[in-house]
Amino acid sequence: MAFDWLSRFHHHMEKEPDYAVKTLAAYRLGMKAKGSIVGVVVQPAPNCCDAAQKLPAAKVYHPDQAPFLPLSGCPQGRRCGCVYRPVMTYQEADKG
Amino acid sequence: MNSMAGVLLRVPLFKLYRKFGWPRMLPLNLTLSPSPKCNSRCLTCNIWMKREDELTLDEWDKVLASLDQAPYWFTISGGEPLMYPHVVELAQLAYERCHPGVINIPTNGILHTIPERVERIARSCPKSQVIINLSLDGVGEKHDIVRGVPGNFKKFEQRLEQLLSLRNQLNNLTIGIHSVVSVFSVDHLDEIIAYADQSGADQFITEIAEPRVELDTVGLPITPSPESYAKAIDRLIAYVERKRFTGVARITEALRVEYYELVKRILDEEDQVIACYAGWVSAHIYADGTVWPCCVRADNLGNLRDHNYDFKEIWFGKKIKEVRQSIAAKECHCPLANASYTNMLHDIGTLARVGTKVLRPGNRRPQAAVGDPGQSAARAAPVRQGAGE
Repeated sequence: MAFDWLSRFHHHMEKEPDYAVKTLAAYRLGMKAKGSIVGVVVQPAPNCCDAAQKLPAAKVYHPDQAPFLPLSGCPQGRRCGCVYRPVMTYQEADKG
Repeated sequence: MNSMAGVLLRVPLFKLYRKFGWPRMLPLNLTLSPSPKCNSRCLTCNIWMKREDELTLDEWDKVLASLDQAPYWFTISGGEPLMYPHVVELAQLAYERCHPGVINIPTNGILHTIPERVERIARSCPKSQVIINLSLDGVGEKHDIVRGVPGNFKKFEQRLEQLLSLRNQLNNLTIGIHSVVSVFSVDHLDEIIAYADQSGADQFITEIAEPRVELDTVGLPITPSPESYAKAIDRLIAYVERKRFTGVARITEALRVEYYELVKRILDEEDQVIACYAGWVSAHIYADGTVWPCCVRADNLGNLRDHNYDFKEIWFGKKIKEVRQSIAAKECHCPLANASYTNMLHDIGTLARVGTKVLRPGNRRPQAAVGDPGQSAARAAPVRQGAGE
């Protein structure tokens, strides 16, 4: 994947206090307004907490059902490296 | 009024600033994103889904007043900037406060109000060159598919015709076509070039689709492979080099070819290739007042609302130092066009190659950037593209 550094960098960014609320609201709007987004995945950080490790891998959530990041009890707080990623129609099509 | 000569005089000072932290300089290339809202649904962009507590015009005025007359180049970006209800007033404030040489606005061309807004901007900023770049990611239905809006191509054509007619009445207005080269469009770039060539637009520019934090496209497979990009862009370079340009257009086209070559190298080498000056020479102010060095990393350097709307407090503050160190240490690399053109102005190798090309004897038949011999070469100023369309 081109620009892998950016993905790593993004994992290291400190989260705004309203990261989950804002990001999931955006995805909800994106789906409602018929964008090419089909859902959201949680991409755990390499050093993620136990709770994040237990999340089902690559599960595509509806924004209403996605877990809030940072997960409750995450010891890294706003430095939690787990991130949301939108899932797009063209990615799903590529999976066949 | 800011001039290109003034910009060039600042180049050595910026080089010192980047290396030694002195003399302290405000950016000359500034992107303003007053709102993320957009009526396109592009496959390559998710900014339109965002909602922000946007700065008001009064707040923008305070911010712009704090910039003195440093910025030469403003990009008003989005979202769809010409959908932002106060875009005319924002451009006027930027003009009155900073006297920029260029105000550059990308647009998707959808709204029927666009020509009227562009006319008001161009008339109220008479000493700035106003550049409007219409987005085109395919010809006909292909455009509509990439942009996610049925009928968009038809509207693009209507808007292009209206804006070209306006351009003929306004000397400070340049109308360009801008194409994002993504996995969705790379295979039909030839068709887009051919279309742009006969369109009557003053210039045709491209930018590679790259992931950006701003657009929430990190990790999405939108960037063409280095091979497919090189194949497509080499044909564009060959096309540009078959043309004969004079005056300013000769310089700007040489710079564009340099940019396309630079992108190929960045993709191949996965490296900055030339020093990046984002965070020194260029900056971005997002809708909620957050200052970023660039829209790719979108490091939060501070929010202007927390700094009494004084850009200097953030720009010369503590937080930015860490980010500058990271950029200088090449912890990032990207082909962002807006920053890349600024970076090329600060790279001696690039300037030497552009100089050689410009001075090389050639056919002097006057030619504008896309191929309309009737257009003023002065309209072919170097174009950089901000985030969103």
